[in-house]
Amino acid sequence: MVKIKEIEIITKSEFQLIKITEHVRKFVSECGIKNGIVLVLTSHTTTGIMVNESLDCLEIDIEEALERLIPKDAPYAHSHFLPSYGTTGCNAPGHLKSMLAGNHCIFPVIDGEMVFGHAQDIYFAEFDGQLKRKFIIEVMGE
Amino acid sequence: MVVDVHVHPSFFKDICDNPKRVSFRREQTGLYKTGIKPMELIYTQLDAAGINKTVLFAEDLTTLYGDTVISNEEIKTLIDLAPDRFIGFASVDPHRADALEVLDYAFKDLGLMGLKLNLSKQRLFPTDDKLKPIYEKCIKYNKPIMFHAGLSWEPDTLSKYSHPLNFEEVALTYPDLRMCLAHFSWPWVNETVMLLIKYPNVYTDTSMLYLDSPKDFFEQIFMKNMGPLWMDRNFNNKVMFGSNSPRFRPYRLKDALESLDIRRSTIQRILGTNAIQFLGLEV
Repeated sequence: MVKIKEIEIITKSEFQLIKITEHVRKFVSECGIKNGIVLVLTSHTTTGIMVNESLDCLEIDIEEALERLIPKDAPYAHSHFLPSYGTTGCNAPGHLKSMLAGNHCIFPVIDGEMVFGHAQDIYFAEFDGQLKRKFIIEVMGE
Repeated sequence: MVVDVHVHPSFFKDICDNPKRVSFRREQTGLYKTGIKPMELIYTQLDAAGINKTVLFAEDLTTLYGDTVISNEEIKTLIDLAPDRFIGFASVDPHRADALEVLDYAFKDLGLMGLKLNLSKQRLFPTDDKLKPIYEKCIKYNKPIMFHAGLSWEPDTLSKYSHPLNFEEVALTYPDLRMCLAHFSWPWVNETVMLLIKYPNVYTDTSMLYLDSPKDFFEQIFMKNMGPLWMDRNFNNKVMFGSNSPRFRPYRLKDALESLDIRRSTIQRILGTNAIQFLGLEV
């Protein structure tokens, strides 16, 4: 059996970490699947799905580390007009941060509950806000 | 106050109920993958960028393409949603037999604050006889005109109609007509500079990003192609901040502008004061 839920959000800043653990946990407990896995997936290429400890200090470190690795201003090849979009590609840093963060996470589902460690939270990571975004929660099992 | 004088609200959700109309907008603007934006997102983006007022453009292509891309009435609908944030510019297809009636209605009844024309798309030169009564109508109502100038990314456009030198006769003939040659008329930046310093009624805006990143492009245009002191010394009252959203995101062009090594007082004029003068706003 497969159960899917799509959630839309509007992000508030260029970089934003949005904790979505509760959305996922609640859907798993309500979807009727007892044993299997839950997959959380972003629908975009300048966002990420990350698992980490939800502490303000770590969120700052994540943002600053990504900024050091992928600065806003660099001679990115993507910075040119894209005829298929009709716009200019100004968001190479968002794409590269997305690559580092990854686009999904997976957790086990046992006895109708998502199983995760006490320090683990799921984040939707925005790297190119503010925009309307979507992520998908898919539970597979029986 | 920060004013973005150049926004096409093609994909603002509240005027996107009709899928055929949205599809027509995509074809005519060449913005093939831009998503429809809920108003909540628009307001979030404006607030995050620190933009207080935004000028929204209609686009009338009735005779050549069979419809408006954005009608004057749709602009009025958006203004009514947020009258403190939005300022509306009408459009009229100069080939229409009822062009002057359309303008009268837009200025008098809809309360729109200026006129937007893209002559590259509408296929006529600024000195065409069809435009003369339109210019006179704008003067009568004391409404400025925003002309597309230079390269247009819209499909099926010819740059010859929007070369800045073709606007000189209009600037000379109608000194009371405030006119903005948008996009610095790129790539004809020097010609635009000539018009800025010669004609008090000619303005331009920063809504250009034709190559590179916003920061690299602005550095190239304002500090290398132009002398680095030109804006500060010679026409700091003639350049307005414009983004050309949704083609370019406003905060990126604003950040690029603010990164330039020019006087902060000039930046402040570009971001707001000059627009207030051009638009004839009272503050």
